[in-house]
Amino acid sequence: MYAELHAHSAYSFLDGASTPEELAAAAAVHEYSAVALTDHDGVWGAMEFAHACKGLGIKAITGAELSLDDGSHVTVLVADRRGYRNLCRLITSAHESTREHGPSRRQDPPAMPPAVTLEQLERHAEGLVCLSGCARDGAVAARVERGDARGAEQTARRLLGAFGRDCFRVELQRPFWRHDRARNRALAGLAERLGVACVATGNVHSHHPDRARLQDALVAVRLRSTLDQTEPQRRGNSSSVMVSPGEMAERFRDHPRAVAEAAALAERLDFDLTRDLGYRYPGSEDPHADRKLAELCRARLGERYRGTTEEAEAEPRLEEELHVIRSLGLSGFFLLHHDMLELAREVAREVRGTSSVRALLPPGRGRGSSVSSMVCYLTGLSHIDPIRNRLLLGRFLNEEITALPDIDLDFPRDIREKLIPRVHERYGTERAALVASFATYRWRGAIRDLGKALGLPAGEIERVARSADVYGDPHDFARGVEEVIGESRAGSSRWRAMIELCPEAYGLPRHASQHPGGMVIATEPLIDLCPVQPSAMEGRNLVQWDKDSCADAGFLKIDLLGLGMLSAVERCVDEVARVRGERIDLSRVPYDDREVYEVIQRAETTGVFQIESRAQMQSIRRTKPENLDDLTVQVALVRPGPIQGGAVHPYIERRERRRQDPGFEIPYAHPSLEPVLEETLGVIVFQDQVLEVAMSLAGFGAGDAEGLRRAMSRKRSEAAMAVYRERFIEGAVERGVDRDVAESVFDQVKGFSGFGFPKAHAAAFGLLAYQSTWLRVHYGPEFLCALLNEQPMGFYPPDSLVHECQRRGMTILPPDVNRSAVECRVESARGAVRIGLGYVLGAQEEEVRRVVEEREENGSYRDAGDLAARSGVGHDTLERLAWAGACEGLADGAMLSAADNASTRRDALWQLGVVTPGRAVPGGVQLSLPLEPPQPPPLRELTPWERLVADYGSFRISIDQHPLALMRDDLPQGTVSSQVLERLADGSEVTIAGLVVARQRPATAHGVTFMLLEDELGTINLVVAPHVYQRHRLIVRTEPFVLAQGRLEFRSGVINVVVKSLRALERPDLPRAEIKHIEPPVGRETGREIPAEQGLAAAAGGGSSSAADLRAVIPAGHSFGRRGR
Amino acid sequence: MGKRLYRPRPASVELGPAGVPATIAGREVESVLEQWLVEDRWWNGRPLRRRYFQLTTAGGADAIVFCDLESGRWYSQRGA
Repeated sequence: MYAELHAHSAYSFLDGASTPEELAAAAAVHEYSAVALTDHDGVWGAMEFAHACKGLGIKAITGAELSLDDGSHVTVLVADRRGYRNLCRLITSAHESTREHGPSRRQDPPAMPPAVTLEQLERHAEGLVCLSGCARDGAVAARVERGDARGAEQTARRLLGAFGRDCFRVELQRPFWRHDRARNRALAGLAERLGVACVATGNVHSHHPDRARLQDALVAVRLRSTLDQTEPQRRGNSSSVMVSPGEMAERFRDHPRAVAEAAALAERLDFDLTRDLGYRYPGSEDPHADRKLAELCRARLGERYRGTTEEAEAEPRLEEELHVIRSLGLSGFFLLHHDMLELAREVAREVRGTSSVRALLPPGRGRGSSVSSMVCYLTGLSHIDPIRNRLLLGRFLNEEITALPDIDLDFPRDIREKLIPRVHERYGTERAALVASFATYRWRGAIRDLGKALGLPAGEIERVARSADVYGDPHDFARGVEEVIGESRAGSSRWRAMIELCPEAYGLPRHASQHPGGMVIATEPLIDLCPVQPSAMEGRNLVQWDKDSCADAGFLKIDLLGLGMLSAVERCVDEVARVRGERIDLSRVPYDDREVYEVIQRAETTGVFQIESRAQMQSIRRTKPENLDDLTVQVALVRPGPIQGGAVHPYIERRERRRQDPGFEIPYAHPSLEPVLEETLGVIVFQDQVLEVAMSLAGFGAGDAEGLRRAMSRKRSEAAMAVYRERFIEGAVERGVDRDVAESVFDQVKGFSGFGFPKAHAAAFGLLAYQSTWLRVHYGPEFLCALLNEQPMGFYPPDSLVHECQRRGMTILPPDVNRSAVECRVESARGAVRIGLGYVLGAQEEEVRRVVEEREENGSYRDAGDLAARSGVGHDTLERLAWAGACEGLADGAMLSAADNASTRRDALWQLGVVTPGRAVPGGVQLSLPLEPPQPPPLRELTPWERLVADYGSFRISIDQHPLALMRDDLPQGTVSSQVLERLADGSEVTIAGLVVARQRPATAHGVTFMLLEDELGTINLVVAPHVYQRHRLIVRTEPFVLAQGRLEFRSGVINVVVKSLRALERPDLPRAEIKHIEPPVGRETGREIPAEQGLAAAAGGGSSSAADLRAVIPAGHSFGRRGR
Repeated sequence: MGKRLYRPRPASVELGPAGVPATIAGREVESVLEQWLVEDRWWNGRPLRRRYFQLTTAGGADAIVFCDLESGRWYSQRGA
């Protein structure tokens, strides 16, 4: 009767308001037999749509609404494989010039609108059906609307010439606008003159009328304007939604043949994206690949295993793997990855330099299940010996495999940055591209975008957005808004609209960006398989599909990931070499260092890879890992999969029991599970164990088990899980397992569905956890430097890392123009860590570099005038350095240390305000006259509190004193410190105060929020139950300092305070003021110049403007939260 | 679309079976030339939701009427 041939999903970014799945589901409700997805200039959602429709028995037609270079649109639909290739090429051309990277090499040049010329369209018409375009912007209809009948006919004739009578249709739409009938009459008349048929389409923009408002608002967001100002560009009513075929027939009752033609055309279009793509991975065409791979591996086998105890086991294992790889035709796939690693080796040599101690390290490391493969180990794709670590191949490769296995490689960030463009070069931009990823709306983004579209005051929007870290559901969001702006404001029409729209926007894609490191490589040009577009970063291209769509397409995807900790450990070994002259080869450090395990068992793991979080610290004190195998389990244990699968507590308890009683018998749900779950004490911790449990208990084949794992790890998997549940239980019952036991084990398996590590991945991460702890234990200052220089990374902000090191007795020194490098470094004489000048916020990197280079070439700076004259650094950076205390030693030319000369921060600022800096010119610095600056007037000393505010405001770290030390005297009587807690009795009522370092509200914790506080003596864990959270949510979410009252709870060496009440900690003695009055450069940052005298007066402590609000500059605690609805 | 032509005046409209005006101010509607829908300002507390009809009455007069979908009342925009 009717098929919908023109529909937009939310992948028509900021225009469509429904996901492809929602459109498919609505189509099923309306009993459509076929629907086309025609997003603007893209097929981002096409694969998702095709799979969603397939499951519902609807024919998905692939297409797009293409923009022409005159601003008009045509709708194109794919008829066959050639047509699909042409569509991909057209879309690729449309995006080709959307990012112009000029000489300034901006990282994110604004995107230009995509467009193709009519000539390009003509050249790629084969296999496509062209509809003449939508009512407002259609290549033909828009001309009719403008009264340009001649132009309309000319364009239509040109399209007819290109596509032919069979494949060109005049498109009629009925959006219930003023001149619909007249326009459609004119278009129908034109079609008749041309001898082609008309086709009716709905130009669907959402799956349900309820989304029409959101669609309106998204248009305003796209236009960076408000709803009030975008009336002409919006659709004007809610009729551009999916309605039933019957209703469409009613809308077009004047044009019944156009309705019938839609169905007839749909019948003809037979291209199925899930079936007809025809991708072959590169290397699959090489007839000698099997031999090459076998030769490569056998040569390395001798090097790795000759003379070892594993030698006898290694050879048959390799042959078994080669056999599986051969039978799957994957030898070329492994050779390609090997080739990629060799390329990485070249890049690593360039980045590290041959003389650096980093040159000892491999270019990257494997992660994920590929680490279990002997072939990967021998070809350098993994650094973990699968035999020594007892890793099974099945999870990665088996003969029943249904999709290409993943090989993920971690690289230090600097190597990865260079490697990605190099891969583009090696394989050609036509054959290699990054996988796309879609930025989807979360609460904060939705509030900001939609708030602006609704014309709400910026201040209110920001207040609500900032408090919106974690909203559990729409009601939570509505309450949150009321709490922040008050009930009456929240009840206003515009805010009510906001409360309605945000949950609808939540989760919709906003724009395309690049995946962190997933690359697709193809033998035939990628642009015949999926459109490719330039990324915001120069030299990089994206395919228009995300990792799920790429996996559905069967694309070979290689993940080149940047891992901050790999960069940090490399920095650390470099710094150790520089400071101590020791060359550390991390692959040869002793893995049985007692001191390292003692530190791990005491959970002194701040800054260490993977085992530093609050939850890890709590469990590690009880599990007490003793070797790398234990660490492998530990890394995998505190993950959503094992937590939801109920594995964590049984594992910890059994481990404790076994420590007390080595004869303790581990209880297994069924005897057949013992060999599978022995190493994890009867519970499922690793993803591969899901596979093994399914095989042992339910008799699954390897392919079935792999299918189950995929069903658990994909977002669209509920129906698949139901199928596997039945197979699992029936299979187990057939093998004599009680149904109850089978169901309970399946529930554990299902609980695992969140996220879990494969054992091989955990082994790789466990090793890095050990190596980073080893560095922390033996090279503390260098390790801290590496962490500070590699930020952002890890669980703790730099301020907390520094405080923890200070508590361990390490000396941390402030930035100093005469001593600091650009980055943080160890001062070898004192073994202290000096904060780098690059840490000073807002100081320009190039200028800071000049300060250091000039000093290294020509000696220390004598005074402020000397610094200004020689470095050629502008006033702005000089003032920022001065305010950070980096010039304290200069003020009177006496090079005094900060501790000796507390008032000189103001003196330096005053003097730098009156000197004339040199000027940077090509080839050097044009010196200014080295005039000695005048002596500053007597300036009041900064109070300790003011110094603290200045330090936080300047480099986000307090070095001299912890804020709680300064607050301690003003705290309510009876407030105890973190150190006192362990001396109190379990169950004691306590009041405790601290700086919020981290907040966590994990999805697995049923609404409980965990807060980590820090005072001057240590850290404190707070547990905030949901009812307490509801009372104090704003404090929990936004306050940097809190005072908590609650009950002390000791659990196996872990101390928590279970919070009863919470309040923000204020400093009553200091009036609140904006920091900009005492920090001169901020005025420039905000675009408002502060008159010099005002800045100086403020710096001199004149008037009330010197008062400081620490809240304005304190680094925000890290929030880790539940982001799902 | 939605361009204001004249100040709307209340109109007496009787509907036919398809929900389309059959008479306006007692005059029979001969044909409906166009029908359109305006939905706007839903965010500002004064939502605008109108279904417009451009008609010819029995006497040959051209008219535009609309139903305010918020109140259900009919108005004449032009003619009638």
